[in-house]
Amino acid sequence: MISKVLTVEGLTKSYERVLAVDNLNFEVSKGEIFGLLGHNGAGKSTSIECILGVKKADSGQITVLELDPVANRKQLFEKVGVQFQQMNYQEKIMVGELCDLTHSFYKTPADWQELLKTFGLSGKEKQMVSELSGGERQRLSVLLALIPNPELVFLDELTTGLDTKARCDVWKYLSMLKEKGLTIILTSHYIDEVKNLCDRICILKRGCTVALDTVAEVIRKSPFDNLEDAYLWYSGEEETQNEHF
Amino acid sequence: MNTFRVMFKTEMKLTIRDMNILIFGVGFSVVLTVILGIVMGNKPALEGSEYSFMEQSFGAIVSVGIAATGLMGIPLVVSDYRHKKILKRFKVTPVNPAMLLMVQVLVHFLMSAISLIMVYGTSVLFFDYSMRGPFLVFILSYLLVLFSIYSFGMLLASISPNIKTANLLCCLFYFPMLFLSGATLPYEIMPEMMQKAANFLPLTQGIMLLKATALGLPVHNMLMPVTIMIALAVISIIVSIRFFRWE
Repeated sequence: MISKVLTVEGLTKSYERVLAVDNLNFEVSKGEIFGLLGHNGAGKSTSIECILGVKKADSGQITVLELDPVANRKQLFEKVGVQFQQMNYQEKIMVGELCDLTHSFYKTPADWQELLKTFGLSGKEKQMVSELSGGERQRLSVLLALIPNPELVFLDELTTGLDTKARCDVWKYLSMLKEKGLTIILTSHYIDEVKNLCDRICILKRGCTVALDTVAEVIRKSPFDNLEDAYLWYSGEEETQNEHF
Repeated sequence: MNTFRVMFKTEMKLTIRDMNILIFGVGFSVVLTVILGIVMGNKPALEGSEYSFMEQSFGAIVSVGIAATGLMGIPLVVSDYRHKKILKRFKVTPVNPAMLLMVQVLVHFLMSAISLIMVYGTSVLFFDYSMRGPFLVFILSYLLVLFSIYSFGMLLASISPNIKTANLLCCLFYFPMLFLSGATLPYEIMPEMMQKAANFLPLTQGIMLLKATALGLPVHNMLMPVTIMIALAVISIIVSIRFFRWE
């Protein structure tokens, strides 16, 4: 049994002369839901892409499920599901075809017909992915990340575009999977979502870590008593806050 | 193996659903066969030629399938999948994204082969066509031209930074080659100046090879086009490897 599912040490990445991620350090334990927060352009997606090995970090040590994501890609991604922001698919592919294709990549995949039911998409197998509504597409992208039957899943803006009911359903389902031992790393713009799901969070501001702790501790260390205000305070533009960390 | 099978089945369905390759690769070449067959058919290719117009044109018509799949199909689908980050998504699965490229090449090869079979069937059944050269030599030359043009198609996909450039490059190479290399308009009836210009198009050389093997012409007619086809493939592969990007 692995207790540390993910270790990030000193991750740094810059684009030309802009520093996108500066010395990021965190660990995620098995069964934890870890949230990466920050404004647009704070470095959330870049961090995730470097952790997954699709972007090459300038420096830093990444270990996922005791594996190196670049050297052990084939082995690692049997057990890791990934949802990127705004996924695009093949032109004119149907929901069922896309699920079946994704299913064929893995040795021990989940039953995608069951997942379609869970995500309220059953009966849509013969529909083109391009004809789905925004919410349905978003649910499909989360579903695809769960087809590997993963031990660890990365969800980048998992409920953007979903209505309240659909978001609650997704949260409930993810909490249920967490109970079964799934580890989740997510990014989100919604504070209620983070409050609802995350055990610990990391707030990024222009690539720098400005907070890294449990939700309760992050609030306690701020002058506020709720996560909304605390988040805005941490990620705000005031220069004074940096002294705290 | 299961992944490959499911991926092939899916991409084949998508290609058929898309219709473009069916229309431009298969449909167009069959229609061209029928039109040329009805208009020129069994007439001698040129005044006093020993072979018919149909026999002479066969090698040119079958190149339409190669050109449509290799110069339109492959570069467009590869740059589309790159643009949509589908290739990138494969990098976070146990499957190598190169498998998707292989599957696409195979799908297009199959469409090209279907086009060849349909053109051959139509010419034999309706226009008294029979191949003069040895069948096996023709098939080998067909595979060489296909390999060479597909490599060039991969080169176009590799040097295009986005889908718009890919579209532009495909139009820039596909249409001139379709009309000027002798695939549609017979090379033999072009004025000398035009022939000289056409000689520079890689597909012209490919068609010369296909015609020479279909007609069973002496080997010295094939040396030049074979050399050019191999050279094009080698250069294209080197450039493709140098410039190819997964995203």
